This record gives sequence, structure tokens and C-alpha cells, in this order.
Amino acid sequence: MSNNLIINAKDLIKNFGIFPAVRGLSFSLKKGQCVGLLGPNGAGKSTTMRMIMGLCTISGGRLDVFGASVKNISRKTKSRIGLVPQENNLDPDITVRENLEVFGRYFSLSNLILSKQIQKLLSFMSLCEKQTLPVNVLSGGMKRRLIIARALINDPELVILDEPTTGLDPQSRLLIWTRLMELKKQGRTLLLTTHYMDEAQRLCDQIVVIDHGRVLDQGTPKDLIDRYVGAYVFEVKKPHRLGLEKLCVNFEDIGQSILYYTRFPDEVMAQLSGTSQYNYRPANLEDVFLRLTGRNLRDN
Amino acid sequence: MVSFFSTLAVIYRQFLVWKKLFWSSMATNIANPILFLFAFGFGLGRFVEVMGGVSYMIFVVPGMMAYSAMFAASFETTIGSFSRYYLHRNWNAVLSTPVTLAELLLGEVLWASFKGTISASCVLFIGWLWGGVESLSGALFCLPIVFFSCLCFGSFGLLATAYAKGYEFFSYFFTFWVTPMFVFCGVFFEVNKFPDFIQSLSWFFPMTHLVMVIRPLTTGLPIDLITILTHGSYFVVGGLVAFSLAYFKIRLKLFD
Repeated sequence: MSNNLIINAKDLIKNFGIFPAVRGLSFSLKKGQCVGLLGPNGAGKSTTMRMIMGLCTISGGRLDVFGASVKNISRKTKSRIGLVPQENNLDPDITVRENLEVFGRYFSLSNLILSKQIQKLLSFMSLCEKQTLPVNVLSGGMKRRLIIARALINDPELVILDEPTTGLDPQSRLLIWTRLMELKKQGRTLLLTTHYMDEAQRLCDQIVVIDHGRVLDQGTPKDLIDRYVGAYVFEVKKPHRLGLEKLCVNFEDIGQSILYYTRFPDEVMAQLSGTSQYNYRPANLEDVFLRLTGRNLRDN
Repeated sequence: MVSFFSTLAVIYRQFLVWKKLFWSSMATNIANPILFLFAFGFGLGRFVEVMGGVSYMIFVVPGMMAYSAMFAASFETTIGSFSRYYLHRNWNAVLSTPVTLAELLLGEVLWASFKGTISASCVLFIGWLWGGVESLSGALFCLPIVFFSCLCFGSFGLLATAYAKGYEFFSYFFTFWVTPMFVFCGVFFEVNKFPDFIQSLSWFFPMTHLVMVIRPLTTGLPIDLITILTHGSYFVVGGLVAFSLAYFKIRLKLFD
């Protein structure tokens, strides 16, 4: 029954001293799915990922990875996971190719498999020409590609990606997206965090929105959009006196204007015609995210 | 269980880096003893004709061997390990693979011991050319002992790394751990020339035990196996204690 659950978290808790980073998180990841873990800074995303890798002890609840508790995560389980960490922790003292080679050794890969994997991954991530260069001379995008290649060295069934495209140019992001789609097609399970909602919408089958260490809601991107923000967003300048609320899934006062989220754009437009200053666009995951987690800054 | 292959993989990474820096590493390993032996052998040797029953040069070569091994091993698991852990976040990357923390740390200490032994070998080579080694076979027998002692020195370095919050912390380590071993543990002078309380303090440091074992060996003086094993057990116990403390502290720091 739970055989195809790659990750199963139930009431997961993590406290750092007295600070509760994760407080009762429940979600699961089926084989072959791409699940996006979305949340503002400090929501508990990276901590959750570290717990899945056994890099962080759990304070309470249950967390099963490949059907076994992470409490004593086995070598075998770890060899089925590839991690793309948020920080660029490539080895600066050795070359691009050597970074992959050394990592393969950590997984005790045989020389034959290792050299095949290195060749395959260098071309998969378009790094063949850079293989003899030291890591320090790579651009941000290349470093990120190398980190992804490194995470794939053991041919993992589960790939965990912590903000894989943060800070990259559009071309690099596009290449990484294409590659992640290919990984999905190969049947791998992906767990992704990102602050780019277009990225999540494009790649993820399932979205889990978390904040303050708790799940706010989860579902497919389409479901979540429909549930919280309908199909279209109208931004209407204040002041105006319209009874738009009854046509809307949700509305929100953002100061100078009001946002109306609706499934009936034509009706809303008819009401608005000639009376108010407004603009509109299709609703997206970012609207859902902001509805769920609010518009206030989080870094403090 | 500690896996041999995982530990070897950690060492392999170090080896790869060392291979690139081989010549610069050798240049410093060779130049250091030349500078020291020149200064102490010629400089001090002119005023001190005999120490411990042998010429000063013969006296100081095993001391320098022990010191440079200790320094190299300590440096590797402090500045070296700390940089990999703190600056490059290399440990985080390693630990996301099947390699365990115990294997990672063991690899660090084993590698430090290798570097310490290389360093001592260079001193031995220069000291031998200089005429400061009476028994070459005894001196070669020193090298595995030096390797063993470096497991202890490396573990103490790792313990400092476990508690370090920044590079500044290591000035304590070098001032209160490395320097006393340089001056109070029989490297340049006989330990029994010091006041009693310094003497008892000096036996606390593993360095004194190392010097006590390798000095008779390079000078060809008699030393029995029991003495070697007695001093050797000090490295084992000290090393195990330091390694365990370092392991638990680092585990707490990384995983909690």
C-alpha cells in the first residue's frame, strides 16, 4: 500500500533549541512525482530536506524515506538519493570532472560505472568543454549545473533540489528546467523547493505550501489556483463602489487598489466597464502563494 | 560500521588535491628542516657540544622530526579541516552521500597522519644527509611510530576544529597546545633540565612520548619494546579520547 510512497512525513517536528522550525508537517511523495515544497524564507523547507537526507535529527513525528524511518538512515537508502543543496558546496580545490569523480567515490561506484556516468552527466549538463577547469572559474549557472550533475552521479531514484535555479540567468534556468523534465520522464521522483512560482507551476505535479513549519495547503497547481484565486485577477484602483465580491473567489485590499480573484472574468469586466481604472491577467501560483502566506516580509 | 571504501574515498579526495600541490608541499617540507637544522645545528650547536650524550645535531634531528610531524598533522585537521567544513561546506556535501560522519572524520585524521609522516620523512632525509642520524634502520623504524602518533595529534586538532567558531579560535590551539609541545617536550632540550612542574606538565603532552621513543632509535641507543609500547599507548588513549570528543561535538553541531 505504501510501497510507492518514496517519502512519507507524518506530524514531523524539528526544534532548534527552543525554536520550532518544523511543527507537525505531514506530506508524502509518490514514486515518479515531482513535488514542490513552497514557502517563504524560514518556513522550514531546507530543514525538512535535511531531515529527509538524515543530515538533521528529527525532534518528533515520523519521517519515512523509501519505506524506512530516517532515524537510522542506511547507506543503501542514502545511495538512492541525490541532493542539490541550496549552497554551492562544490570542491574548489579540484576540477569539474574531479568533482564528479570524487563524489562517485563517496558512493563507492566502480571505475567503469563512474567513468560512464561522468561522461553522460557532463554532456547532460552541457559541461563537457569545462571538465578540466577548476570550479572557481565557472559562472554561477555552470556551478549550479555541476551541482545537479554531481547529485545525479549515483543514478538516484529520488532527487532533492533545494532552490536549483536561484540567481541564474533565464537561459540557465531554461536548460535546468528541460533537464529536470527529462529526469521526471526517466521515472525519477523529484522534491523541489523554489521561490520562483513559474518554475513550480511548470515542473511540479503536486505543490505543498508550508509556512512556520506547517502545511498550509497542498494540491496540484491547477487545483490550488482554482481553489484560492479562481482563473483571473483584476486589480481595481480605489476608490470604487462595485459589488464585485459575489463574483469572486477571493479579494484582497492591497492599499492603492483591490485585487479580485474570479472564475468569471467576463462578468467582472462587464461590471467594471467604464467605471474604474483596472487591469487584469490570468491567476497564477504566485497569487495562491501570496494569498496563503501573506504579503509581509519574512527575513526577520 | 565504518566502511573501508568510504574512508578511502575521503582520503582519495585529499590525495587528489595534494597531488596538484605536490612540489610546493615538498619544497616547504624540505626547506623547513634545512632552515631549522641550519639555525639550531650550526647556531646553537656551536655552543652546545653535547646533549643527552650525543652531538647536538644528532640530538635535534629526531626532535625536529617529531615536531614537524606534529605540526603538519595538527595543521591539517585544524586549518585544513575547518576550511573544508566551514568555508567550502565540503563536509555538508560529503555527508549527503553514503559516507558517514565517522568515516569522514577518520579519513581526515588518517590523511593528517600521512602528511605528518611525509613531513617527518623529509626531516629525516635532510637530517641524514647532514649527518644527524646515527642509525638509519632505527630512523626508518620511527616512521610507522610517527604515523601512529599523528593519529593522536590529528585527533586533537579535530577536537579544536569541533569547538572552533572561526579561524581566530585556532590561535588558542597553537599557543597553548602546539607551542608548548615545541618548547617543553624535548625537541631542543632535554626535558629533565626543566623545573619539576614543567617536567610533569611535559609528560601530559603526547609530543614528549614521541620524542622519547624516536630519539633513541635515530641515535642508535638501546630501547626496548615495552618502552615503545608504553609511550605508544599514550597516543592510542589520547587519540581515542580526542577523536570521540570531537566526533560527538561535531555530530551535535552538524545534525542538531
